[in-house]
Amino acid sequence: MTVTGPRRVRGALRPGAGGPLGLRGLRGRLKGPWRVAVAEASMTPSILAGDWLLVDPSVGRWPRRGSVVVFREPGSGVLVIKRVAGRPGDWVPFSDAWLRLADDEAWLMSDADDEALEADGHGRAVDSRAYGPVPVEALVGRAWFRYWPVRRVGRLPKPPVPAFRRGPGPAPRD
Amino acid sequence: MSPLRLLAPRTVVRAHCDLPCGIYDPEQARIEAESCYRIVEKYLANEDPTFRTRAIHIKEERADLVKHHLDVLWHDYFKPEHLEAVPNLHQLFWDANKQVSKVKASTSLDDARKLLDLIDQVDAAWKTTGGEGKTRVAGRPG
Repeated sequence: MTVTGPRRVRGALRPGAGGPLGLRGLRGRLKGPWRVAVAEASMTPSILAGDWLLVDPSVGRWPRRGSVVVFREPGSGVLVIKRVAGRPGDWVPFSDAWLRLADDEAWLMSDADDEALEADGHGRAVDSRAYGPVPVEALVGRAWFRYWPVRRVGRLPKPPVPAFRRGPGPAPRD
Repeated sequence: MSPLRLLAPRTVVRAHCDLPCGIYDPEQARIEAESCYRIVEKYLANEDPTFRTRAIHIKEERADLVKHHLDVLWHDYFKPEHLEAVPNLHQLFWDANKQVSKVKASTSLDDARKLLDLIDQVDAAWKTTGGEGKTRVAGRPG
């Protein structure tokens, strides 16, 4: 989606609504984090535990679907990493029904599927399916580049993630 | 300091997944609910205001624990596929949790008894969907 000028300005004026600076202000954003180390396995196979990533902390609104973002997990406040699966205004399947994301909310999902995680001895992935939509105040940055380990250095793949199709009847279960 | 150390990020982000222990048993909720029941009994039998204050305080604490244990079963143990075996699962947990709130606010034995009955229904649902064989460690001496 292209962001038009006036919208951007309006967004900036509304506190916490994901204007260019959001709630944290310019200084807060430039403080970082610029580099993060990944722990745990829910982004397998695209991002593995132990990967070192570069983060762009200057983002103030949810990046496009398929982007990898660092944010504070609702409830616990821990820094976590997930992929944007739904942006503000999108419909997402939630608990046998459809939910429309508000102006400042995103739907964040893990890459790994639960069976694979459980087979590897991990638990289920914890993402929006567990804690619901995430408001933009929780957004910390967009991860865009892997600089370690050497053999996997490069921009993070950003597969095209289609919007959920809101069909008739209950949502598909995964 | 090695160059690698310099490059290492200082922030850790988690690609979060659960590590559940997989141990679940409605008995945990039942025991706390029994505490509530017994406390109400003792409350009714004793006129001492200090005792009664303590009883109410402890009852509320125990009731909170009932809620917690019910929620863990509801959120973590029961999975969407269990709905086929127990179609009224959500209603049941809704009713049970509402009943806990009632027990918190009241000193009626009937309310506390009703909560025990609801937990027994949760117990039945747990048994239909796997029960002890799946969620407890075997080998406890009988």
